[in-house]
Formats: sequence, structure tokens, C-alpha cells
Amino acid sequence: MTAGVRHNVSFETNNIVLIALVAILYSLFKMATVLRSQCAFARLFAGKTVQILNNSTDLGAKLGPGSQSVLSRKYSNYAHSPFVTKIKEQYDYEIVKKPAEWAFVERLLPFETIPAVSPKESYPSGWIPPKEEAANLPYFIARTKNHEVPIYLEITYRGMRKITKIRKIEGDIWLLNDEIKSYLKEKNNRYVETRVHEIGRFIETKGDYVHDLMQWAYSKGF
Amino acid sequence: MTSALISAIKRLHISVVPQIRVFSSNAVSVSSLDQNTLSITKKDWAFKPQYTKPREVWIENIDTIEEQKLGLFELHPLVYAASPRIDIIHQNVIWQKKIRFVSWAHTKTRAEVRGGGRKPWPQKGLGRARHGSIRSPLFRGGGVAHGPRSGKTHFFMLPFHLRLNGLTTTLSAKLAQDDLHIVKDLILPTDNPEYLNDLIEKRNWGPSVLLVDDTDYAPRNITVATDSIPHVNIIPVYGLNVFSMLKHDTLVLTQAAAERIEERLLKWLNADTRRQQQAYKLNQV
Repeated sequence: MTAGVRHNVSFETNNIVLIALVAILYSLFKMATVLRSQCAFARLFAGKTVQILNNSTDLGAKLGPGSQSVLSRKYSNYAHSPFVTKIKEQYDYEIVKKPAEWAFVERLLPFETIPAVSPKESYPSGWIPPKEEAANLPYFIARTKNHEVPIYLEITYRGMRKITKIRKIEGDIWLLNDEIKSYLKEKNNRYVETRVHEIGRFIETKGDYVHDLMQWAYSKGF
Repeated sequence: MTSALISAIKRLHISVVPQIRVFSSNAVSVSSLDQNTLSITKKDWAFKPQYTKPREVWIENIDTIEEQKLGLFELHPLVYAASPRIDIIHQNVIWQKKIRFVSWAHTKTRAEVRGGGRKPWPQKGLGRARHGSIRSPLFRGGGVAHGPRSGKTHFFMLPFHLRLNGLTTTLSAKLAQDDLHIVKDLILPTDNPEYLNDLIEKRNWGPSVLLVDDTDYAPRNITVATDSIPHVNIIPVYGLNVFSMLKHDTLVLTQAAAERIEERLLKWLNADTRRQQQAYKLNQV
């Protein structure tokens, strides 16, 4: 016998044998559910037209709005409840691919990837776009996927150690290091220690120089 | 001084790039291929390379043992020219080993060792140390305190971006070491494993080769040929992983697979991944 999920709907006949027989017959002709559901012969066994919820038709069920029962019915026995039959969709609908209204749905969907920046005259947020000519330098600081310059302040030891980190460096990292060092020394009138991680492609600067380095990066066009 | 030299070399390299193309097309004509059939693909990515030049690779064929170059092909530097982060590769390998490892080492505690229910000797009066059980961890043949208990999983999840960077850095390392080859497709003229062995020998590919295709279903000849060679394996794109890439000497991607890998990784490198990072995170409130 076909195992299946059972519905919480009852036949009104209590004849166990008849229901078992119907169930066997039904499982044999399961493939042709839709046809058989409109045939009368199964109704003789079941004795009553039954409409199963969830839009599905049971054997002997009459299609149509008149026979549709809305209330869920409790069976006295789980084993005697009928199997879930093949659900026949009774609503009228048509499938439309890419209608004009879909644009409004797309507007609400989250972005797959972070979108590119649309060029403008000025940006009220203060965001500065990268310049084309930066790509001609022997070194480069790539923007992050959020179009920000990857210069960060790392505070550790309860605020006792401040490290400015420049990430995503491409090209000649040592030349970039030399230029940063001389720039920071000139600007702050003191020697600034830096550390270059060539494999990790980042430079760490001892002290909080985020503002200075941002200014420098913008001046270079990164 | 050094940096000035490097920058000088770099500038030199940039100016040379168009000439390299000319040389390479000449090289193709040497390998007895009609120059007209050579396809040179310049790609237009959704996420353009910001600074580093795209990597150029040859498209090879595998329907003859003799290597023929069918075209030139560009690979995105974010995926195929990432920095060789050995630490990230190592983390990925450890993760892949541990994620499915369950330790079955097992010891019995004092409660599980047979016997030892009776007090071995009276508490006082014998001049001996006080003991309540002969299966206490102090006793020879006693239970083990804090020993290994079986069914210990070592599952953990590597952060999303470490998994992502593990793939890019391994692919880049393979390409930089000339261990990554792009082939047009996986169609072989014969299903004889000897043909594949000869091809691998002739091309100087490593004894072990990992073939990656875009589809689940590889052509029949290559599946039959690789079936009897244990060190030549085929996987689909979604099965690509760091461990397998390291396990095999040479990684052979079909052109479609290389593009698909690039597309997927570029998408995730430029996507909002907060939801992916959230999964498997400990201490979630």
C-alpha cells in the first residue's frame, strides 16, 4: 500500500472494510485521480461525496463551489482518515513572465551586489569619488566594496595603543611606505613609525593619523 | 633605491604589455596553428579591476596529445591574482579536515570500570592511606580522570570571507606557479586511460590532475578514462575547494568553469555578506 499523509477529514460511513477497499482501489488508480474523482463508481463504496480541504479532491468528490466544505473535520481514528490526494488547483490564474509591474517588485528586492556609484557633480554626504589618474601611480589603494578608502584606526590596550591601518594596497608597497613616512613627518614634525606587511598588503602606522592619511589618499586620487 | 628600481621595472612592464601579445600570437603560429583561429578575448567585467592588470592565460586543447593553443583569455585579478596568503590556505585546510572529523578515542571513568564498589580497607587503624575504591584514578587499573570521551566533534565554521579568500588565494597561487591550465572543453577523442596518461606526461602536468568543469555531467570519454586513474579526478565548479586544489599537482579548468568561478567569487566579494557571516556565529543573542 502506498504510505501517505492523512487528512483530518472524515467519511461519514464507519465501515472499516469498505474504506480499506476504497483505499486500495484508490491507490491503484492514483495516477488518474482527477478523472476518477468525477466518476461515480467510487462513490458507491464511500457512500458520500467528500471534499477535502486544501483544494484537493478526494474520490467521489464533486468539483464545484457547492460541495466545498470549509470546516476541518475530526476523525475518530487517525488510521481511518483518508490519504491526501493529488491536489488539484481550482483557482484560475495565468502565468505572466516579466510584466510591466515587475519593476516595482524589483525595486523592493535587496541588492545582489553593492551597486556602483552613479557619478554626480557633488555628493552631499561628503564622500569623495576616486580619480582616474590614480591608476598611473606605481602604487594604489583600492576602494572597498562599499566604495570607501580602506584606512582604519585600530584601538587596543584600552585606548593606550592606536594604530592606523591602510589596507588593500596594490603595486609598490615599499614606495608607498616611504612616501607616507615623509608626508607624516613633514606634517606632524616628528618621526612616525610604520610597519609594512607585504603579503597581507597593508601598512600600519603607529599613532592616530587617519585624518592625515585620508587627506593624502584623496590628494593622490585614491 | 630598491623601490625606485621596482617602480622602474613596473613602468617598463606596462609599456611592454601590448608587445607581449604580439609575441604570444607569434608563438602560436610556431606551434602549427592557423593564426586566424586564435581567439583573443578581452573581457568586460561588472566589477572592473581597479589597478592590477588582468591575468592572461592560454586556452589549450585536450583532443590531441600535442598541445595547441586555441586562444588567449583574461582572468580577473581579484580572483586569480590575489596575494598568496599561506596562512589563509592553511586555515582552510585545517577547517576542511576538522569539519567532518569525529574523535572516537574513549576511556572509562572510575564509575565505568568494573568493580571497586567496596571500601578496600578500613578508614583508620591500618597506617595506610585512606581509599574508598580500588578503581579511583590513583589506582593502577583504575578509571581515567578527564580522559577522552568518544563522539567528540571538531566541527566549526570558518568565517565566510576566509573561505572566500582561501579559494582566491589558492587559485592565484596555482596560476602563479603555472599549475593552473585552462582548456576549451573536456572532450577526448578516445576513452583510453593511456591517452590521458600520455597527455599529462607530454604537457608536463603533475602526476595528479584535478579537472573542473562547469556542469555536473562530464563527457563520456573523459569519465571512462579518468575512472581507472585514481590520481586524475573530475569535479564540478561547486565542488571546488582548497584541499583538493592542494592535493592535486595541477588544476585544469575548462573555460566555462574558470568564468563561472570568477563570476561567483566576484559576486560574493562585492556583495553584502552580513547574512552569510551571521551563520554559525557563536554567542548569537
